[in-house]
Amino acid sequence: MQTKRTIFPSKLLPYILLAPQLAVTLIFFIWPALQAVKSSFEREDPFGFRTTFIWFDNYRRIFADPNYLSSLGRTAIFAISVTLLSMAISLLLAVAVNRLLRSGKVYTTLLVWPYAVAPVVVGILWWFIFNPSIGLAPYILRGLGISWNHRIDGNQAMILIIIAAAWKQISYNFLFFVAGLQSVPQSLNEAAAIDGAGPFKRFWTIIFPLISPTTFFLLIININYAMFDTFGIVDATTSGGPAQATNILVYKVYTDGVLNLNIGSSAAQSVILMLIVIALTIVQFRFVERRVQY
Amino acid sequence: MATISLIDLMKSYGDIPAVKGVNLDVADGELIVLVGPSGCGKSTLLRMVAGLETVTSGSIEIGGRNVVKAEPAERDIAMVFQNYALYPHMTVRGNLEYGLKNRGTPREEINRRVREAADILEIGALLDRKPRQLSGGQRQRVAMGRAIVREPAAFLFDEPLSNLDAKLRVQMRVEIRKLQRRLKTTSLYVTHDQLEAMTLADRLVVMNSGLVEQIGTPTEVYDRPATLFVAGFIGSPPMNLIPVSSLSGNEVSAGLPSGTDIVGIRPDAFVLEQPAEPSLALEASVELLEPIGGESHLHVRLNSSGQSIVLSVPGRPEIAEVSDIVVHARLADLHPFSAQTGRRADNP
Ligand SMILES: Nc1ncnc2c1ncn2[C@@H]1O[C@H](COP(=O)(O)OP(=O)(O)OP(=O)(O)O)[C@@H](O)[C@H]1O
Ligand SMILES: [Mg+2]
Repeated sequence: MQTKRTIFPSKLLPYILLAPQLAVTLIFFIWPALQAVKSSFEREDPFGFRTTFIWFDNYRRIFADPNYLSSLGRTAIFAISVTLLSMAISLLLAVAVNRLLRSGKVYTTLLVWPYAVAPVVVGILWWFIFNPSIGLAPYILRGLGISWNHRIDGNQAMILIIIAAAWKQISYNFLFFVAGLQSVPQSLNEAAAIDGAGPFKRFWTIIFPLISPTTFFLLIININYAMFDTFGIVDATTSGGPAQATNILVYKVYTDGVLNLNIGSSAAQSVILMLIVIALTIVQFRFVERRVQY
Repeated sequence: MATISLIDLMKSYGDIPAVKGVNLDVADGELIVLVGPSGCGKSTLLRMVAGLETVTSGSIEIGGRNVVKAEPAERDIAMVFQNYALYPHMTVRGNLEYGLKNRGTPREEINRRVREAADILEIGALLDRKPRQLSGGQRQRVAMGRAIVREPAAFLFDEPLSNLDAKLRVQMRVEIRKLQRRLKTTSLYVTHDQLEAMTLADRLVVMNSGLVEQIGTPTEVYDRPATLFVAGFIGSPPMNLIPVSSLSGNEVSAGLPSGTDIVGIRPDAFVLEQPAEPSLALEASVELLEPIGGESHLHVRLNSSGQSIVLSVPGRPEIAEVSDIVVHARLADLHPFSAQTGRRADNP
């Protein structure tokens, strides 16, 4: 196969063309990341006059801190719940739309809207819906005999941010699932129907295995999202409360660093998060290339 | 083992009719080939029999049982798809076993049938491969295998050979024919390749725009095409259809049934020397001589009307292009048609 090559008149031009993008990446991503790594090895005095290099003290302290460990556990619960909930719902929707076939265009567009909404707005939206004094959901739940107050009940607060975070991600997952389902030839489904498999069996034995690359990709993307991209939602709905119940890692980085001004610890926490992202990404590429193919 | 009957079978997509009332009785163990041009409704018909397409009106009986409302799984049929539709994530064995497992066939029985099918189709060595590791011909065999392990009442084939190269197609065609003879399973076979149709069929069903034009054995259809469409569709090169008006100088009208205004003459019915039997003679000029091995196709233009016709003559005749010749055809070899009804004029 021939690759298309563009010949530039001068050697410099390609670099000049790349420069703006590279500059943005450097200034807003690489440089802050390096700063975080640097800060994670330092301690700053309360007034910010003096910083001392303290090797892995910050890390050691983090892993000895019961607050951090319980936040880690909550993050795991949160990430897994968000991922499963949003993937399950979007798969259900995608299957429904796929049945309606190509006429599902309008429907598809509508379902994509949540993805265009900023996380904070999502948070506020759900904060309204579940607001214990003015919200619609608590009103309905009260009718069912459930008293809803996520400002007091940590579990309810967790459920709230899980719903809000999952809701936002559904549209994204949905799109990928629809694309995945559309790529499964209809004749396979028909062959399986003739082979005596009912709709459920067909789905689990034929279609689901065939969209497993999509599913795996989304699994990683969703875990990533739940762990690192949900700051806005938490901030707008529960602000990590009540009593740390929803203080997931990404939010804790913020509270420790910006609110409690413990820069060293916050930086170390963000470096750990960064390592988790990198690990997940590596796993994803390894797996998508190897295992999940047929 | 079963008969299949289609009774006034119709299918419309919205306002557009695809199958416009088909009646067909398939005998037990018979291989029926549905043939016709693209878009004539062959696949639609087959898919209705399979239960993959709903029926607009009419009924389908398999083994005497009306199956119009039955799910595909309940019809006891197996289908071979054009793209084979093998399950890509399962091994060949998995593909063969899937339908049996779904029906709760006992393990020993599954093993026996898979072994048998693998022997018949010579795919025993491929059982642990995935479909992507097979060649087109091997996939085709596996698709056949998946149908025969089921031991269904009927096989349905939708252009199963059209993804193979020409040589393999001929080979598989012969194998399908042998296999079907051996298993004696009632079969419906869709193709648009008339050679495939002629060689495979016990009986041919020639379809055109949603309607059946003719049903008959390949010889019947070839020797006595019932309509102008069949005359032009079956046979290669196709039958020459010549208006009676351009047969000037021949005393044929008397011998032709009333209402005949078109005569059909097969390319191989023409001879270059006047035969002993009563015949007609046409003056023409040679346009092109195509030698194709054992015979040659001679393209000539009739002097009377300017119509181009094709003759198929044995060997490689020494005829100069752009020369004038006279071609002859025995009156017994003429097919009389009525242009108005589009049908044979000598049918009762
Ligand atoms: N799902 C559908 N919706 C609307 N029209 C359809 C649909 N499927 C088939 N048709 C129409 O019905 C007619 C018959 O189609 P069918 O697929 O049976 O043709 P075919 O004889 O199998 O042709 P080919 O040899 O090209 O496969 C065509 O005019 C086609 O456009
Ligand atoms: Mg077709």
